[in-house]
Amino acid sequence: MRRGLLVTTALSAAAVLALGACSSSKGGGGSSGGSVSLKLVAADYGTGPANSSQKYWDGIADAFHKQNPKITVKVQTINWNDFDNQVQTMVQNHQLPDITEGDYFSNYAQEGLLYKTSEVLSNPGNLLPVFAKLGSFEGTQYGLPFTTSSRTLFYNKKLFADAGISAAPQTWADVQADAAKIKAKGKIGFGLPLGSEEAQAESLLWMLGNGGNYTDSSGKWTIDSAQNVETFQFLKQLVSSGDTEPNPGAKNRTDLWKQFAQGEIGMINGSPALIPIIESGKVLTDSDWASVPIAGKSGPLTSTLGVCDFVAAFKNGGSKQAAIKKFLDFAYQDKYQLQFDKEYDLLPATTSASNALSSDPIFGSFLKALPNAVQYPSSTVWANVKTQIQQTVGTAVTGDPKSVLGAIQKTAEKGA
Amino acid sequence: MSSPVVLRRVGRAAQPLLWIGPAIALIAVVVLWPVVVMFRTSFQHISPDGYVLGSAGGKNYSNLFDEPDLSAVLIRTAVWVVVVVTVTMAISLAIAQLFNQRFPGRRVARWALIAPWAASVMMTALIFRRALDAGSGVINVLLHDMGIVKHFNSNQADWLGRQWSALVWMMVVAIFVSVPFSTYALLAGLQTIPSDVYEAARIDGASKWQIYRAITLPLLRPAFLVATLINVINVFNSFPIIWEMTRGAPAHETATTTVFMFQLKQSYIGESASLSVLNFGLVIIVVLLFLRATRWREQVS
Amino acid sequence: MTTTVLSAPASSAAAPVRRNKRRAKPRTMVFAILGYAVALIFILPYVEMVITALRPPDELLSRGYLPKHYDWSNFTTLWKTGFGGSIWTSVKIAGGATLLVLVVALPAAYYTARRRFRGRALFLLLVLATQMFQPAAMLVGIQREFNDLNLPSPTYSLILVNAGFNLAFAVWILNAYFSSIPAELEEAAMIDGTSRIGALRRITLPLALPGVVTALIFTFIGAWNELIVALTLSLSATPNHRPITVTLNNYIGQYSIDWGHLFAGSVIATIPVIVLFGFIEGKVVGGLTAGSIK
Repeated sequence: MRRGLLVTTALSAAAVLALGACSSSKGGGGSSGGSVSLKLVAADYGTGPANSSQKYWDGIADAFHKQNPKITVKVQTINWNDFDNQVQTMVQNHQLPDITEGDYFSNYAQEGLLYKTSEVLSNPGNLLPVFAKLGSFEGTQYGLPFTTSSRTLFYNKKLFADAGISAAPQTWADVQADAAKIKAKGKIGFGLPLGSEEAQAESLLWMLGNGGNYTDSSGKWTIDSAQNVETFQFLKQLVSSGDTEPNPGAKNRTDLWKQFAQGEIGMINGSPALIPIIESGKVLTDSDWASVPIAGKSGPLTSTLGVCDFVAAFKNGGSKQAAIKKFLDFAYQDKYQLQFDKEYDLLPATTSASNALSSDPIFGSFLKALPNAVQYPSSTVWANVKTQIQQTVGTAVTGDPKSVLGAIQKTAEKGA
Repeated sequence: MSSPVVLRRVGRAAQPLLWIGPAIALIAVVVLWPVVVMFRTSFQHISPDGYVLGSAGGKNYSNLFDEPDLSAVLIRTAVWVVVVVTVTMAISLAIAQLFNQRFPGRRVARWALIAPWAASVMMTALIFRRALDAGSGVINVLLHDMGIVKHFNSNQADWLGRQWSALVWMMVVAIFVSVPFSTYALLAGLQTIPSDVYEAARIDGASKWQIYRAITLPLLRPAFLVATLINVINVFNSFPIIWEMTRGAPAHETATTTVFMFQLKQSYIGESASLSVLNFGLVIIVVLLFLRATRWREQVS
Repeated sequence: MTTTVLSAPASSAAAPVRRNKRRAKPRTMVFAILGYAVALIFILPYVEMVITALRPPDELLSRGYLPKHYDWSNFTTLWKTGFGGSIWTSVKIAGGATLLVLVVALPAAYYTARRRFRGRALFLLLVLATQMFQPAAMLVGIQREFNDLNLPSPTYSLILVNAGFNLAFAVWILNAYFSSIPAELEEAAMIDGTSRIGALRRITLPLALPGVVTALIFTFIGAWNELIVALTLSLSATPNHRPITVTLNNYIGQYSIDWGHLFAGSVIATIPVIVLFGFIEGKVVGGLTAGSIK
């Protein structure tokens, strides 16, 4: 018996050695003979095989390589939903990418793994200042805003006309009245995605409408503040009168956006990323929908949620800083910013590219909302709080708003 | 002792290793090692992005047992396993006996049964998720035409949005994907029953029901038990169905322990590992109870 | 239902069946209708999958059972993004795992069936125990282990994991099969001067073929459809080096689910499996038979 166990251990040890032996081929990829190879890991923004972000980055990498034959950029794109997880795994494995584009984590800055923004970009002043704080850790900027978006209220003009509504909603009362009329036509009045995918965004948009937020200006958590509880009581009442889709706590943005694109929903909060989905749905034409500032309790929001994805540069031993800087300067040219925004209907993250786009009929209104955009808390506890909001906030519109929000507040105060 | 004797003894002891050693090595690397890692992780304090911040002692476990949802999740898991396995075995028993009959086109019918087995569970779950869409899912369209569902996009049509109707539909899917294997296992069991046993019983004047009770069921028992055991383990660990159809939402209201573990893993890796350990404990207890109740040992020897 | 057991099992001697045949005609009809109904129920969801894959974008959420127009573009645009590479990667993973299971399980099952040795019970218990553990339940451990192992490509990791978790079933079935083949057959051959290996190859293996085929097909299909571990371990691979389940899962995007491509890809990924099963349908019953009498 005991011998059997011993043998098992010995065998597995041998297997490990054998397996370990063939693993050394990977890693590094650094500089040999003056040439440098950079590994770029980017989130994929594509909606299908046709417009994968791999193409976009490969295009930049090829053009860059032609100008700088000694630097090769290897691009790897990762499905959005797995991006965080995957970058984490790479960091844990000590197989750091050189550049990432997607979410940014202050944790990596805290660990000292990242270059400062000023070390890897010649003109950091061109990055939109409003997002600088979100990319910073203890006052120093590490994350380079790369692409941004803001939220607006999308509504289906055709359904509005059918229901006899002439103006876009501006207040919560408008939302409720219009939703009820659309519901009477057999469609969904308001699409409210409070399922685990993006509930933290939808919740914040409604909180803003009542002067609430996740934190106050000093950074203190205010998740279960009186305003926020009132906000969710309004939503609860909206849901129970059937003016939204049924059971918002189990509904995700991916499904509802698709339904909006198919003309099944009257109103929904969206970002420019909804536009390509409307276009590929081939049901709504450009004149069938419009987007306006998000409705608040007594009037439209003056500031909306701004979302930003970042580029971060990892210090892989420190020898590639010059090459990274060269590449990022190249990739941040206006033409690439605009190409990205055209491809995915997102907004630029640099002042110069924004200026070039400000007169665009579609993007203009979103861009106007950007400078005074509100962002998620930059606290390190936010990751955990966000997860809990995603998983539980949907129950606030069926159960007791105060206790649900109170439980989230408790997690936030408890800290990491 | 002289060395040739020792050598011969070592040789004799090593001979089985030559044959079963590779299997042990593979199991050790792929199955046992992760279990060890899992145990270790369950005592570590780990940041959400995967950094080990030190030892957690028993903190992960105490946090886990403080989760207000844990007891509901455990009860739900028990219901999930019992209902899915029981219904699966009942349906499979019926279908196996049907497909053991001769009828024209039987081969094609049996072949069709294989579809849920051949397609990955993820795909099947996604098909049902779409078919249950409150606005345009084909199941709702059908139920609407039959007059059962009154309005599209209503609370009634939103099967996956409410806790219990979501659970029932997910059980349907779990049964749907479990039946093919179980049916084939029982079909195989039925074919091992020699026909002369029936002949003898009939000559003795036994009624059909008596024959079924006294011959078919007892002889089918081994196959039935194997299939049940495998189903219990698979259904307990089942993940893709719930993950693809509701992600455990609303909140954790449709989560089983495996799904709950995934929900925890996003922020609390250590606590999630301790739930995995608890899961192991449960699987082992359930299997041991099952083996004991069915007096498995006597069956094997 | 109780009446059904009286006719003889299908694959056994045909004589008694023929005797019953004329008398059983109306009953056969009932069985046939019931059988087709069951078959239909189990095939319908996959028919719906094909229909969805063929819906043009503007009919995706329409309430008709069938689309007004059929759109094949999902099946063609799919190939532009490394879908072919994904299929090849899955073939390598499932094929590799199957081969590894064959090499590892065959000797273990044969030896435990033929020899009584110290630790035999313990070994069989170990094998049975692994059947209890499923990758979904121990993902954290697997992920951390293979991070440390750092194999040159996720394909190798996935071959190992899939082989490991399908080993138990293969050993169990093969063990039952070998046990059911009398040892005397081999011994007779060995007396005639054939070596043990020779006897195994020429006498036992051919007799055990249905069991071997069943075990291998199970492994292949299990590995082909595996999602959770693949999702965790193959993320760092480029799109055409990811297995097919991961590629399909990627059509569930950040902003929308690409149902058309998701289901078109699923159809393409499922066809080889159904064909494989079609070939061995009869053998599966045979292969499981040995497994269940044990």
